[in-house]
Amino acid sequence: MTAAIEASQEQTPATQAELCRFLAGNSSGERLPVYPVGGRTALSCGGAVTTPGIALSVTGLNRTIEYPARDMTVTVEAGVRAGELSKLLAGEQQRLPIDIPQSRRATIGGAVATGVSGPRRFGSGTLRDCVIGISAADAEGRLYSAGGRVVKNVAGYDLCRLLTGSLGTLGIITQITFRLRPLPEFSAFVWSTWPNAAALDIAIGELMCSAVRPMAIEVLCPKAARQIVTESRLDAGRDDLVLAVGFEGTENEVRWQTDQLRELLHRAGAGSCEQIDQPEQVSRLWDALTDFQVQSEEPLTFRASLPPSQTIAFIELCRQQEVTVQSHAGNGIVTGHLPDSASTVEAAGRITETLRKEAVRHRGSLVLLNCDENWKQQLSVFGERGGGWQWDNRLRQSLDPQGLLNPGRMPAS
Amino acid sequence: MSGTASSVQSSVSPVPPSAAGRQLLAELREIVGEEGLLYNADELLVYECDGYVVEKKIPDVVVFPLNTDQVVQVVQACNRHNVPFVPRGAGTSLAGGCLPVGGGVMITLTRMKRILEVNLRDRYAVVEPGLVNVHLTQHLKGTGFHYAPDPSSQGACTIGGNVATNSGGPHTLKYGVTVNHVLGVEVVTAEGEVLELGGAVEDLPGYDLTGLFVGSEGTFGLCTKVIVRLTPDPEAYRTMLGVFETVADATRAISSIIGAGIIPAALELMDQGIVEAVEEAYHFGFPLDAGAVLLIEVDGLEVAVGEEARQIIELCEQEGAREVRRAETPAERQLLWKCRKQAFGAIGRLSPSYCTQDGVVPRTRLPEILEFIAESGSRHGIRIVNVFHAGDGNIHPILLFDERNPEQVQRVMRASDEILTKCIELGGSVTGEHGIGVEKLSFMSQLFTPDSIEVMTRVRQALNSGGLLSPGKMLPTAGACGMEHIERSHPGKQAAS
Ligand SMILES: Cc1cc2nc3c(=O)[nH]c(=O)nc-3n(C[C@H](O)[C@H](O)[C@H](O)COP(=O)(O)OP(=O)(O)OC[C@H]3O[C@@H](n4cnc5c(N)ncnc54)[C@H](O)[C@@H]3O)c2cc1C
Repeated sequence: MTAAIEASQEQTPATQAELCRFLAGNSSGERLPVYPVGGRTALSCGGAVTTPGIALSVTGLNRTIEYPARDMTVTVEAGVRAGELSKLLAGEQQRLPIDIPQSRRATIGGAVATGVSGPRRFGSGTLRDCVIGISAADAEGRLYSAGGRVVKNVAGYDLCRLLTGSLGTLGIITQITFRLRPLPEFSAFVWSTWPNAAALDIAIGELMCSAVRPMAIEVLCPKAARQIVTESRLDAGRDDLVLAVGFEGTENEVRWQTDQLRELLHRAGAGSCEQIDQPEQVSRLWDALTDFQVQSEEPLTFRASLPPSQTIAFIELCRQQEVTVQSHAGNGIVTGHLPDSASTVEAAGRITETLRKEAVRHRGSLVLLNCDENWKQQLSVFGERGGGWQWDNRLRQSLDPQGLLNPGRMPAS
Repeated sequence: MSGTASSVQSSVSPVPPSAAGRQLLAELREIVGEEGLLYNADELLVYECDGYVVEKKIPDVVVFPLNTDQVVQVVQACNRHNVPFVPRGAGTSLAGGCLPVGGGVMITLTRMKRILEVNLRDRYAVVEPGLVNVHLTQHLKGTGFHYAPDPSSQGACTIGGNVATNSGGPHTLKYGVTVNHVLGVEVVTAEGEVLELGGAVEDLPGYDLTGLFVGSEGTFGLCTKVIVRLTPDPEAYRTMLGVFETVADATRAISSIIGAGIIPAALELMDQGIVEAVEEAYHFGFPLDAGAVLLIEVDGLEVAVGEEARQIIELCEQEGAREVRRAETPAERQLLWKCRKQAFGAIGRLSPSYCTQDGVVPRTRLPEILEFIAESGSRHGIRIVNVFHAGDGNIHPILLFDERNPEQVQRVMRASDEILTKCIELGGSVTGEHGIGVEKLSFMSQLFTPDSIEVMTRVRQALNSGGLLSPGKMLPTAGACGMEHIERSHPGKQAAS
């Protein structure tokens, strides 16, 4: 949570129309910066915000608009909590196959605005693959929408994708339509430990070309493994690098795959290798792997993107810097918490810059997620921007010419 | 639009008569050489339309660049001369996306067709936009990976065209459409600058510009390189043919299958009219008296597909299927897919011209829309056959007509419009995969509020402010000022040639 938002005056409109009226009034009147807030779980995402203004809560927009379960789509308002949505969908044996941290509090609009993801992105893709319709209000209170309520639709520009992950800078998301998937019948993990990082690297390469189709391929450093084991009350190896591979599907296919995989991992030199298939344990493990990104007392959390083949090497580099890491290794996404020893902005900057240089060398990136907001003003949150930044700026200027929506959140360069 | 190069078209002379036109032509020749240039009226005729044959317009010049640098120079030349330009791939678009509204320069990318990189470990390939979709699949054969989007036109259409239209295909029910498989693009902007959007690495910071670009129908830039995601091949398939007495039975079976939590890789419906034509062309052994057949494919692990297939057969039988056949050999599976994907080729047997419509309804509303299509066809005296991506609710009624008969063309357009309006009424959309192009501009205001169109227009202006690039497409308000509006009453080929 940031001081500027805390110092802002809060508004909680109860309807889309009220929200639009408020924005229209603001843009023609005081022109205060507007900070959309949902469940307040990710307010530190993006660049620092500095000027107090209006904290515009969407939690009043919390209705389910339509849930035609047989069509496997759902339309909800942005303030619906992710956990409530899951419950609703589970009633029809369906789900949104996206991992949303702190789902009891997080709103669905906030999740879309920040484009959150978790371990299942390897098997199910990201929110951008699930949002099929969206409505948002621009800074002047103009309500606009894109997409629709059908799973296949190419009419008009794909503003669904543009808004997903836009950090509330192009509009305040008010309503979303998702495509859904059936709830899987069964789920299990293969949890293996790896004294030797090079062997793990080779094993992952083989796994990616094998017949198994995991939902998640997670690599944890020993410290992260200990944290996850405690969090999910498991009794599993945790003193080396850990590879945790998650499966979902029918019991038959999951068991066949875990057998195949265990054999592959043994051959590839795993230290220990065990199967986790108690439903409660499995479910706690999915949650712990999802929430790792926000569960930290440490001074700074970052997310790096790399080619998947570079993940293990990057994790080793992180470990040298005593960074605690989790990685969605099939996607090349690495989340790291800096050690307590990085207690000054200079120390934190040295570590993140070293790691960023490595990510950029592989045409990847490193983004700071969570840290002291004063640090955010001194450090580079996004690093050097790649090709599209001129377009980012032009889009922001054309949709929010007065610069009222979440100023400072998105990289400007 | 500005008259410089436009005058070429009305002239039979191979050289543009105006000085400015001659100057542009000379500059283009300098960039792409004589062999990369077409400007004779008879050569240009091929480029007067794409797969949407109802409206036609001949470009003034067609250029065939060989690399990004040439595309940049061509675009800059067009900007200097204030002449509109439009990208084109294989020209299989069915919504008139390639129509050179206002004339000008058509930039055809089919000579940029190399596969630049394949990286199996990181699951991506980098290709040029002119690469034919199926050539990538063929190139990957034996690697254990493939490129998932497989439009029925994949033997001809280009990956660049797929990116521009966000193409789907039979297997997108399970695997998603083009946008789900594009990681990044290299774009030559409307001003002639090169930008890289996205990349082989996921989650790069900033807005999802790749996602915005895919499906923008060539109105944000020319795509000159595509980074596509590669998908591991499924271990096993089960391909089935469900035979139903009526279309209604078949559509109920679709809802039951999906309702049971099974997501088949493909779920395609062919009605009696199209089955007849396909059978005559390919002799698969389709039953000619069935109301509809469903082509159903599940793929995945060998341990899973058998059980899924068993469930599907049971569900089809519950919904009254006369029989469910299984493709027992790979050759049989291939023949079945050939019949589906080349169904359009067989339509020539039914009628001299046809217009494929593209609408979407929520899956559970398929019975209603199909009934409406039949009714609309008989009311307008137009024969309509159906072959479509049923699992997605993506209908493709094919309206059969003779384009030499202008009155019939009018009736075809009236029936089409009615069907699309009905799709909207049922909670759907007027295009699932072919795009708005010029064909469906008038529907945008039925789908979106004026404010939504205003925001989309701003987005377009932000990225294509001059309006020279692909004018008159996608948005009813788009295009350069003073742009002539194409009337949808063109009688077609006779008038153009
Ligand atoms: C028999 C048949 C079956 C079909 N089946 C399907 C199907 O199953 N699914 C489906 O989705 N579509 C289908 N289509 C439609 C069509 O094939 C697709 O839209 C295809 O993607 C078009 O590719 P193309 O190379 O022919 O593009 P073109 O027709 O040449 O161009 C299409 C649009 O893209 C733009 N464009 C082309 N290249 C570029 C580029 N490099 N950069 C920027 N813009 C560009 C053009 O300006 C135009 O607006 C079918 C068409 C036919 C004729």
